[in-house]
Parts: sequence; C-alpha cells; structure tokens
Amino acid sequence: MTLLLGIVIFGVYSAALLAIGAVGFTLQFGVTNVLNLAFGSILTACIFAEYGLTGHSTNLWIAMAVGAASGAVLSLLIGHVVVGAFLRRGATGFGIAMVTIAISLMVQFGLEAIQGPDILSYSAGSQATMNIGGVVLSSGQLTTIIVAVLAMAAVQVLLRMTKFGLAMRATAADVSLARTCAVSPARTRAVTWLISGALCGICGVLLGIGEGSFSASTGSDFFITLAAAAVLGGIGKPAGAMIGALIIGIVSQAAAAVIAPSYKTIAAWVILIAVLVLRPQGILAEFAADRELVA
Amino acid sequence: MTSGLVYYLSGLAILLGINLIAIWGLDLQFGLAGINNFAYIVFQAAGGYAAALFALKPAKAYGGFETYLGGFNLPFPLPLIGAAAVGGLLAVPVGLIAIRRLRADYQAMAMLVLSLIATGLAEAQTGLVNGPTGLALIPRPLVGIVHVTPLGYNWIFLGLTAGCCALAWWVARGISRSPFGRLLRAVRDSESAVAALGRNPDALRMKVLIAGGALAGLSGGLLVEYVTAWGPSSWLYPETFLFFTALIVGGKGNLAGGALGALLVPIGIVEASRHLPAFGYPGMIDSLDWVVIGACLLVFLWFRPNGLLPERKRVFRAGRQQAGGTQVSGAFAQRLTGSR
Repeated sequence: MTLLLGIVIFGVYSAALLAIGAVGFTLQFGVTNVLNLAFGSILTACIFAEYGLTGHSTNLWIAMAVGAASGAVLSLLIGHVVVGAFLRRGATGFGIAMVTIAISLMVQFGLEAIQGPDILSYSAGSQATMNIGGVVLSSGQLTTIIVAVLAMAAVQVLLRMTKFGLAMRATAADVSLARTCAVSPARTRAVTWLISGALCGICGVLLGIGEGSFSASTGSDFFITLAAAAVLGGIGKPAGAMIGALIIGIVSQAAAAVIAPSYKTIAAWVILIAVLVLRPQGILAEFAADRELVA
Repeated sequence: MTSGLVYYLSGLAILLGINLIAIWGLDLQFGLAGINNFAYIVFQAAGGYAAALFALKPAKAYGGFETYLGGFNLPFPLPLIGAAAVGGLLAVPVGLIAIRRLRADYQAMAMLVLSLIATGLAEAQTGLVNGPTGLALIPRPLVGIVHVTPLGYNWIFLGLTAGCCALAWWVARGISRSPFGRLLRAVRDSESAVAALGRNPDALRMKVLIAGGALAGLSGGLLVEYVTAWGPSSWLYPETFLFFTALIVGGKGNLAGGALGALLVPIGIVEASRHLPAFGYPGMIDSLDWVVIGACLLVFLWFRPNGLLPERKRVFRAGRQQAGGTQVSGAFAQRLTGSR
C-alpha cells in the first residue's frame, strides 16, 4: 500500500518537474515548428548559471528567478538568433536537427570544461517534511508541485485569455493567415522562445536543487524524458504535455520501484520510441508533417 | 625517427583505418541513402561487444573478475566476422523501429533515443556485458601464435586494419556504383518517385542500413580487439556526431570525402589536441574537443554544407544507348539522381 502510494506521490512530483519543462518545449515546438534538441543543454546551462550567480542560495524563489532569466536569454539566443539564421538560409528538418545538436554539444561540453573534475552539489539544508500516509515529501518537492500547477495555469491563461496567446495559437495554426490578421509571426516566435526558455530554466533549477547534485550531462538525460512527456501528449500541445508528464512520471516511478531504479528513465524512453513509431501525432494533436518551417 | 614515435604513428594509422571503415559505413546510410542514423554508434558498439564476447574465454576463466554472456574463445578471424554479422543483424530491429514515414527530425530523435536506451540497458543489465564498468582483458588477435615486439605487433594489426579498409572500400564503392546505389540516391532525393516506379523505399533503406551496420560492426570489432577494453562510456551518443561531423566536413556521398573527414575530425581534432601543451585539469582538453567539433559542424553547415569534397553531380543519360524518345526520361532521371 505504501509502495503504491509512494509511486503515485513521487510520480506526481516527477510529473510536476517534467511538466514545467515539457510545456515549455512543446509550446515552442508548436509555435516555431523547430524540434529543439538543444533544450536539454539549455536546461543544464540554467542550473550552472543559477549555481554560479547566486552562490547556490537555498532560497528557491530567487533561484527560480535566476534560472528563468538565464533560460530565457539563452533560448532566445540559440533558438531565435542561431536557428533562425539557419532557417532563413533554407535549412530543413534534418539540417535544423543537426544545428541544434551541434549547439547542444558545444553547450554541454563547454559546461563540462567549466565544471572540471569536481561534482557540483547543493548543500542539503534541513528541510521541513510532510508525511502523507507513510510517504515523506520534502518542502522543496512540495514547492515544485505548487510551482508546476501555477505554471500550467499561467500557460493556459496566456494561451486562452490573452491577445498574445491568441497570436501564438494563430501562428501555430496558420502562419500566413496570422500575418494577414496583423499578427507578427517573427515577434510571436521570439517571445515564445523567451517563455519556453524561462520554463526550461525554472525546470532546470528545480531539478538541480531537487536532485541535490548535477553535472554537465544532467539536462541531456532529463530532456529525453521530458520530450517523452511532450511527444506522448501530442507534440505542440501544452495541455497534452501535462497529461503526458503525469503518465510518464507515474510510469517511471513504477518502473523504478518494481524493476530497478536504473529503469526509471529507460521506461520513459521506451514510451517515447513507441509513441514516435506508432502514433507520432501523440494523444491530443494532429500531425504537423506538412507545416511550413520558417524563421 | 625514434622507435617511440614510429610506434605512436603506427597506432595512429590503425585508429585512422578503424575510423575510415566506420565513416564509410555511415556514408552508405546517411550520405547515399539519406537515413538520419543518430544511433550509429550503437552499431559500432554492438560489433565491439560481439568481437569481445566471441574472443573472451568464459567469465569463470578469469575468476569471476567480470560477468558477461558467452565467452566463446574463438580464434582469429571469427570474432571480427561475428562483429560485422552482429552489426548487420542489429540493423533489422533498428530499421523495423525507425524506418518509417516520419518527419526527418522525428526520425533523428527516435534514433537518438534508441542510442540512449542501448546505453541505459548496457549499464543496467550487469550480467550482459559487465554493466557500466565494461569488458576488459579482451584477447588480441593472433597473440600467442605470433611472437613479435609490440611494434611488430602494431605492424601486423595495421596490415589487418588496412585489409579491412580495403574490404570496406570495395563494398562501399561497389554499392555506390551499382544500380542499387543509384536507387538509394533516388530514395534520398525523391522518395515518392522511387515508390511511383514500383520500388519499396523502406526495403531499400533497410538493406543499406544492414550494409552500413555491418561495416560499423567490423570497425567496432577492430577497435575493441586493438584497445582490448570496451564499456558504455566508450560509445555515448555524442560519438555518433563525431562521425556525422567527419562526413559533413569531408563531404558526404563520396568515399574520398569520407576519407578526408576521417583524417580531419577524429584524427585531426581529437588526436592532435592531445599534443597541445597541458592546461587546465586533466580531461579539460577532451571536453573542449567536443566544443570544437560542435563549432566545426555549425561552421560547415553554414558555409559549406556539402563539405570540402562535395558529392559529384551525377547526370544519368538514358539517351546514350537508345537514341531518340528518351529526352523526357533522361530529364526525369536527372531529377532523381542529381545531388541537391
């Protein structure tokens, strides 16, 4: 019983962490149609930035603000400036995948060169804990769940109730029609890269502090799990990404508890392959195969 | 030259040969047929493990120092043949999973995830190939049969590598020049036209995935028999992009481009940086290598996406043999086979 409850509660915590990143990833994919394989490296860079800038302070809110800011700047730089330049040159799907991988390698191994042989870790301060039927949840984990719920609500409000959200949805659905309705796709995409980067940074900082330690490859591994949530939910659909995150979170916790801890990520990755192969459009979305790919 | 330098250079030549085989294998899949195989390193890894398991004695012979499946203690050259066979066979499940009508970037991502899953499984299943520690003490070919100095052995191994290179060159050139090779270029450039002419593009891709996989397996087998150790940290997913960078720098779709890329990227960047005066902590230069590789990839994708030695534009003249009435089909074929 405690095992089952543990799987559900830690599954929800994993899902919360995944959802923050997955919504950012999928929002950016939906609006720009760029599969950003450098997302994981941006995530790692945000942990490094937060760790370096704030001297790994234990104040979660300051940490998140720094993470969000660095993520937004990096994302705009990589996505809008570099990838955008390649898109204007006429790069297509595979070329863009290659460009984002190249950037990802540069960022990841650049950070590894900075990191050096030391393991970077956050000091485990004494945290308040909460006991739910024998399952102990720390206040940091609880904060993560609250932040995730707030972020999800904010994204939904942005998309459904604001003029800019309408512009984002219009750009995602039909670029030329959006342009005729006085929406600037370039500006919409730039802001989308910013929002996606900010969510990426928040996710990264919460991941780094939650895990307690991190390395230059933390983000790349986590990114694939996060992509599994986004693809499962229908890539380009924020609401789908939340459902996907919940499924991936609980399944991976179950795999960790039932098979072995090392299967936590493998289970999520197998789901990703299965969805890509069997139903690449995911649960909630239409297939975006014929959409234009422009800067 | 001092004997130390000669020994080093012979070792370097062996590494160059091994990389050549791997890069030509990837060129068949990516350069010729346009398959975005981001899991390529797994084929090399599988060949390496196969060679190791075929060559090693059963695990008990080493006093339980490592655990693995098999240990067949087969004599040279059976482990290498086995490595190529396993590399080719691995292409079947990978192809069944990843060769689909997916967006190119989705397919690339699916391949990338396959590569990560393979690493995860090799680390999690410690009984399979000794988990994260990897295999060690892998016997080198012909040791115990020939009795030579280490340098003499390097020359023998270099001869073996050169022989395998020649074989790989013969296979890759044969495929590239054959009607099958023309079909593969057509699949790359215009899949729907190939399908319209009654050929199955997926079956063609599967065949070339197997051929390239066998070359990758062979290169992995050679590498493992040369360095005598093999573990998951030797084939992490970025290694795939070492080969992709080599092809994009050298020029994809032709053997000379692949060879130039093998000389410039794995040897030129990775090996040459070992001779820099040491700075930073140990390992910093290795990390910076990858930054340089990523930068190279970006620079070439921007300025010279077809590489230093671009693929020659092929114009297929159907009219040469049957004069008249072939103008249209000639133009059609040109659209099919001309490089973009």
